[in-house]
Amino acid sequence: MGQELLTVKNLNKSFGGIHALKDINLTIRSNEIHCFAGINGSGKSTFIKCVSGIYEPDQGEIILNGRSYSRLSPQEAIEKGIQVIYQDLSLFSHLTIAENIAINKIMNSKKRLVSQKEIYSVAQTQLEKIGVEMDLNATVQESTMANCQLTAICRALAMDAKLIFMDEPTTALTGKEVKRLLTIVMDLKKKGYAIVFISHKLDEIFDIADKISIFRDGEIVGDFERSELDKKKLSHYMTGREVEYPRYVRTFQDNTPLLQVDRLGQKENYQDISFSVRPGDILGLTGLLGSGRTELGLTLFGLNPHNEGSIFFEGRELRRLTPGLMKSLGIGLLPEDRAAQGLFANRSVKQNLSSVVLERFSRTAGLLDQKEEERIAIEISTDMNVKTSSVDAPVSTLSGGNQQKVVIGKWIASKPKLFIMDAPTVGIDVGSKAEIYDKIQFYASQGMAILLISDEIEEIVLNCNRILVMAQGRQIAMIEEEERLQASQSELEEKIMQLISEENPLPVQTQGGAVV
Amino acid sequence: MRKRKVINRTEWFLIGIIFLYCAMVTLVNPAFLSFETLFDILRSSAVTTIMAAGIMVVIISGGIDVSFTAVALFGAYVTTKILTETSAAWMEHLGIAFLLSIFMGIIWGLLNAVIVHKLKLPAFIITLGTQNLIFGVMTTFIGSKTYGAAAIPKVFSRFASAQLFRIHTASGTIGVSSFVIPVAIVLALTWFIMYKTKMGRSIFALGNSESAAMRIGINPFRVRLFVYAYMGALAGVAGVVYVSQVRSMYPNALVGDELSVIAAAVIGGTKLSGGQGKLLGAFLGVLIVHLLNNTLIFLGLSSSWNDFFIGALMIVSVSVTAYQERLKNRKHFIFTE
Ligand SMILES: Nc1ncnc2c1ncn2[C@@H]1O[C@H](COP(=O)(O)OP(=O)(O)OP(=O)(O)O)[C@@H](O)[C@H]1O
Ligand SMILES: [Mg+2]
Repeated sequence: MGQELLTVKNLNKSFGGIHALKDINLTIRSNEIHCFAGINGSGKSTFIKCVSGIYEPDQGEIILNGRSYSRLSPQEAIEKGIQVIYQDLSLFSHLTIAENIAINKIMNSKKRLVSQKEIYSVAQTQLEKIGVEMDLNATVQESTMANCQLTAICRALAMDAKLIFMDEPTTALTGKEVKRLLTIVMDLKKKGYAIVFISHKLDEIFDIADKISIFRDGEIVGDFERSELDKKKLSHYMTGREVEYPRYVRTFQDNTPLLQVDRLGQKENYQDISFSVRPGDILGLTGLLGSGRTELGLTLFGLNPHNEGSIFFEGRELRRLTPGLMKSLGIGLLPEDRAAQGLFANRSVKQNLSSVVLERFSRTAGLLDQKEEERIAIEISTDMNVKTSSVDAPVSTLSGGNQQKVVIGKWIASKPKLFIMDAPTVGIDVGSKAEIYDKIQFYASQGMAILLISDEIEEIVLNCNRILVMAQGRQIAMIEEEERLQASQSELEEKIMQLISEENPLPVQTQGGAVV
Repeated sequence: MRKRKVINRTEWFLIGIIFLYCAMVTLVNPAFLSFETLFDILRSSAVTTIMAAGIMVVIISGGIDVSFTAVALFGAYVTTKILTETSAAWMEHLGIAFLLSIFMGIIWGLLNAVIVHKLKLPAFIITLGTQNLIFGVMTTFIGSKTYGAAAIPKVFSRFASAQLFRIHTASGTIGVSSFVIPVAIVLALTWFIMYKTKMGRSIFALGNSESAAMRIGINPFRVRLFVYAYMGALAGVAGVVYVSQVRSMYPNALVGDELSVIAAAVIGGTKLSGGQGKLLGAFLGVLIVHLLNNTLIFLGLSSSWNDFFIGALMIVSVSVTAYQERLKNRKHFIFTE
């Protein structure tokens, strides 16, 4: 067993009326991967922020390397060897990827001067360490979510910290990158680091955990060795109930196609895609990062013009697609990058929820009916089970997962005919996932057509009555309704996994940890 | 991987405008294209360039300062008063004048930083307040006398007439004003601070996101102290250059110029929301503003056209930057509209 690195005693933290952490007692040791699990809003991120010096605890003691503190400053925490990959990444959007990766190291070195060469070499070394390639001169603002997340990971790894907190570091990553990150985490553990890892993907937890601490409602309800738990027990401890995911079967009668896509292509991103969607269909679109799934989804919302093939909606060919036109036709998009595209962070939950359905309660002369706005906001947030002190609280004070529920809720409330959802349950806890699946399936059974883009194969197979598999911009398989009904859940998962991995062989691991 | 560009699009755009404009003026009036005009612009833009470098730093840090013209005036006025009233001969030295003025600038800058940071109010409002405060302190406690050309200390007029080097042309001998020395020093120093020091990195980081900057251990208060004090110091330098240039000192000189300095920085691609800006751009912005200022007469236009052109340029420049950003984002499937 490793030595004690960090011990926390009776830690308490409240925000106004919300008691976010209640008497937390916890020890983190070196040579150990310690996973935190817990539903959205249970206090995981708040715990990290108390230890890394962002929040001042109301009460309690933080013992670091044998010294006791009632509070730390961010500077002290960094000096004592704590690094955090924050859930919101916390990057500098106008600075380049290279500058973002190197900035921690540079700010905390003894030298007062900075050289561009050093920035590059720090960044390059980190990228090689995790085995990815990126344009180091692109700014964060113009980079994809996945690249931003990789940047935040590199930034923390550059510091040679003793204790690294990783708050949902894999939300925007898929297959290859996740595997690579988990390998690195295991390596770090062997070298004597302590890692705290948070994820709502339970597979990841069971892949790497030594210890698992379960948060519920601001308390730790149990500390376990990995061997003492399985997925079922873990989700039971997290939610306090049995979690059962519903399986979708289409019952809607109308078979006239709503959306038809014919040999659609776009230069670098996807080619030769053909499919049609009927009301009540939940069409799954799956494939790895870079398979073109997200880009295809954006095209269908008028955001990424195609240059080959044609698109028909309700029998009419659409020629000039714009988001405005698509919205007026009744098409909604839940984008992949929620932080930038879906939410007004400093506005209240209420204002965010009402932004899509504004016309529904704007009276004559464009005046808003405030009572109605409030009523609808409360209705949606209860429906989606959003955890917030009130609908007037700014969205930025919600936990990461609850922010996402707000985005999904606001779109569903506008009742689109076709709803394109890109990675709808990333960062959502196991319990709330069931509720969201219920909701998606309910609306589909009422006739809403849904295009579900996701790389969680379990999610795709459960919810989609038809599944389109993509790899490197091509449509490699279409699993139709009959096939899905005949095969079992695990057979289908197996099949899709097979299809994807054939097209994208994973890098072979050699002994030194290098990628060939 | 993409090369990092030394000159970005906004800057190419400004360079293009400068060339086009010069070509146009030359067509109308060939007398324009001369070393004399060039040296004239270099000289007359000295004060603005120095202040623009300072305001660029403040804006990049996510702040704003509209009190710097008042600070420059204060430094210049008080220095003039001290130099004219002192009997100690050693005080009559240009170096002393700069030091005095810079010192007063730093004091006012630190005050700005403390109030902006502690009160957590918009820096625009705070510095608008200090601007008035500084004028008030000066006219009530120090004096409101006007110093004419005869009363100005000799060091200033010597500094103004000194020339770095001369060249001989058909129309006579013309020289490069010694004002380019403080300008060059300020530009070099600002460049060095912004791109070569940890403080520079902190300034960019703070302007991008205060909370993210704090999370990596940056102390926003320290950065603000530095940034506003630096602005104050440069305002002090600009003040001394200013008295030397105009060879007189009114208690209301420079008033109202702060917005055109900010305009120059913004035309040069400095983002008012913070976190982004380049020195070359800001410098080009100043050049354009002064080019218009000095040469509209060559076109036979009255100076009121100046405002029109600067306004138009600012709108075009800001929209070009914003449009390019949108295109860039589109390429990466990031949509904010
Ligand atoms: N700055 C803040 N102001 C007010 N309330 C806050 C603030 N930060 C967190 N909270 C509240 O504290 C609770 C715990 O939030 P926290 O972010 O720690 O959850 P979490 O376990 O990380 O959830 P998730 O899995 O969704 O990320 C939530 O109810 C949240 O609304
Ligand atoms: Mg969290």
